[in-house]
Amino acid sequence: MRLDELERLDGLALHVRRGMGERPGERRFPGRPQASGIEVESHVAYAPGDDLRHLDWNALGRLDTLLVRRFTAEREVVVHLLLDASASMGVPPRDGKLAVACDLALALGYLALVANDALRLTVLASDGPAASPVLRQRRSVAHLATLLDAVHARGAVALGAALTRHAREHAAPGVAIVVSDFMFEPPALEKGLLALRARRYEVLLLHVVGRGELEPERHFGAGVLADVESGETHPVALTRTTLARYGDLLRAHLDAVAAVAARCQAVYARLPSDGSVRDFVAIELPRLGVVRRR
Amino acid sequence: MIGILNPAGAAALLAVGVLVALHLFGRRRRAIPVSTLFLWRQIPAQPLHRRRFRPDLLFLAQLAVLLALIGGYLHPYLQTLAPEADRMRLLVVLDASASMQAREPGGTRFELARRRARALVGQLLGGDEVMVVVAADRVHVALRWSADHARAEGRLEELEPLDTPTDLAPAVALALGEQHARPETAVVVLTDLPRDAAGVPPDALAAVDWVQIGATDDNVAVAALVVDTPPFQSVREATATVVIRNYGHVARRVTLATTVDDVPWTRRELTVPPRGSEHVLLTEPPAAGALVVTIDAGDALALDDRAVGWIDAGPSLDVAVVTDADAFGATLATVAAALPGARVERVTPARWDAGDAAAARAVVFDGVDAARPRAVPALYVAPPSASTTCPSERAVEDAAVVDWDGDHPALGALRGLEGIVVPRAAVLVPRAGDARLVLAATARGAFPFLIAGERDGRRVACLAARPGPSTDDVPLLLLVLSTLHWLEGGDAHGALAVQTGVPVSLPAGTATDEHDPGLRVAGDPAIVVAERIGFQRLGERVVAANLFDDRESDIGRSGAREWAPSMRVESRRPGAPAAREFGRALYAAGVLLLAAEWMLWRRRSAP
Repeated sequence: MRLDELERLDGLALHVRRGMGERPGERRFPGRPQASGIEVESHVAYAPGDDLRHLDWNALGRLDTLLVRRFTAEREVVVHLLLDASASMGVPPRDGKLAVACDLALALGYLALVANDALRLTVLASDGPAASPVLRQRRSVAHLATLLDAVHARGAVALGAALTRHAREHAAPGVAIVVSDFMFEPPALEKGLLALRARRYEVLLLHVVGRGELEPERHFGAGVLADVESGETHPVALTRTTLARYGDLLRAHLDAVAAVAARCQAVYARLPSDGSVRDFVAIELPRLGVVRRR
Repeated sequence: MIGILNPAGAAALLAVGVLVALHLFGRRRRAIPVSTLFLWRQIPAQPLHRRRFRPDLLFLAQLAVLLALIGGYLHPYLQTLAPEADRMRLLVVLDASASMQAREPGGTRFELARRRARALVGQLLGGDEVMVVVAADRVHVALRWSADHARAEGRLEELEPLDTPTDLAPAVALALGEQHARPETAVVVLTDLPRDAAGVPPDALAAVDWVQIGATDDNVAVAALVVDTPPFQSVREATATVVIRNYGHVARRVTLATTVDDVPWTRRELTVPPRGSEHVLLTEPPAAGALVVTIDAGDALALDDRAVGWIDAGPSLDVAVVTDADAFGATLATVAAALPGARVERVTPARWDAGDAAAARAVVFDGVDAARPRAVPALYVAPPSASTTCPSERAVEDAAVVDWDGDHPALGALRGLEGIVVPRAAVLVPRAGDARLVLAATARGAFPFLIAGERDGRRVACLAARPGPSTDDVPLLLLVLSTLHWLEGGDAHGALAVQTGVPVSLPAGTATDEHDPGLRVAGDPAIVVAERIGFQRLGERVVAANLFDDRESDIGRSGAREWAPSMRVESRRPGAPAAREFGRALYAAGVLLLAAEWMLWRRRSAP
């Protein structure tokens, strides 16, 4: 996506409910009052040591009770963009799943940076995750785009294990946006999601599905299928029966991924590779409550 | 109606099979990368080689490209069918004689005529019929009535002019017969002759479209070549007479060159006046063999710039004279003494009958008849009336030769036979199959003086009188020598000289099973007609064929013109749509499809 296209998303922002960070920031987290701040959220009985500047003198005059004002927490949220760069993201080549995934990551990263959230891009590749420094402020968008441009699909990635490792290495809570084609057995994903949830991450699973995966007859008629990650082969001829069977299996797989997401209290959204990233961000994600108008 | 001009191009359809084979082969080899196999693995594997061929979009695009290109190569055409009531028949009479080889601006006359004929055929609508008749020395129907115009054009393209004279009359008569039977027939005659040379009454040509092609008169020809080899003489005594004729209206300077058996004989510069001739006598040939005469005229008709002949080293005189009297034998012996390699043996009838005589190539019976004929050619001179071989009625006195068959090889090039006067001669009685070569007459009437034929497969000649030792009898003596030359088979030596298009009887026993394509041989006894000039092989013999036809060589015309009939093909359907070939459109479609196929391939293989 070009910068001028990204600017059309200026009125949108990620809607973060959890993943409150440690550093002060602009995100308000109601329900978690803190001793200092701007917006008064509640009062608590004075305890020795409380800052006298926050003592509510009006309440003392009226109620003859020492009450201290508590403020809505305003913290920074670290948005973790976890981009699957396994070889499977590169096939079918015509679908360009990785390019779509990068566009989607850029769009969401843009929303985060514009909202003054912190952003960390982690590319999940076969040689281990490559995490970028934390990016802040709008001016980091170009840097983010450069990082995404350098991403290439290669090798095999065990996404569940990669998520677990990420949760271990980045223990501070945040928002984890996982962009992948999820073309593996769904149970392998569940462990990783639970690990993130255990670190109080808010998790968003964005599933990029290739059109050639949804409708394989557009990709080939018959041939020896080769797994791009394992190299295994399987001869298949697309007959009507075969297509029907594959359709059933694919639907079951997509449902299983969605079910895993639901179990792990993660938001799950699916984007076909030939779909519009902008429409997905501006329409589909707000519908799911992930993005809202500022 | 759709037709094709190049049916042989259908062989290119084999490429479709190759394309299918390549796709089948590629299907078995093609590995398709997928993101994962864990879904596909739940579908049973299927052996691809057992699977029915299912064409994909790329294959269909490639097939379309291939079919478009093959279609273009077939040269298809679209022809509108003429209404049933408006259908016509076109009969093309095409002159394929030698003069049609004359060069004109734009090609030879034959090419111009053929182009015109193709244009006429191209104007026909579907359902119209066409017939092609070729006229040269004979009529040849090149194409019977056919509505297949592509075939007609192909047949026209295959035609070539011959080296023979023209006889248009039979062809025109044939065309008029067809027109009479079906009045809707349009007859077009394409020739270089004017309409009055048709050989049919002018009224009959009222409905004939006569197209005369050609105008140039630029032609110098070898109009005649006569080789004279005296019987039993050496080759050095042979002569050749060449006639060079200028048929143009300006004087021409040419170089005459002759070779014998590829050995240069003579080379002369000649200036031939307009419409004039030059005679050249060539003597003392360097060898015997094939004689080739050429002129470097560089004119419009190259065909008659060359003539061929044969200088023959014939047999020597080798005869046995069976006689009771010694006079004739002595005369022959005297002659033989003057001839190189000649041998004359005189034997009595008794010795002959006893077989006490050396073998000879011919035998002369002088006033006697053979009791026991041998298989040797024989000349019976003044045979007795009781002769069984050469019977005679009576004797006459004061007879003179009055006529003779100058074309018979036994007479060769003899002239002045009218000078033969004999005081006494036998009136010969020819037997069935005998040829009367020379006729003599007395005051009471004519009678055969020399007859020739065959008895038991051997040549026999009967001469009514014997020459005496007087110089007055030299012509008769020459006749005897010429006849002996024929009896010894002198005509079987060398080449058979013929003119193209002129039937010539072949000597008995000539093998005709194998011959060059420039000859037509038919009949029994066999007749040969040469269609091409030059040396041709006929069994063991060589045929020297030349044009030597003034009408063909005299190519000058008053100018190309046409005699329009009352009904013309062109005027019948002005602007009639000709068959439209759309091969180029298919080529263009093939190129566009190729571009589409390339984009499809790029799209498929692009990441």
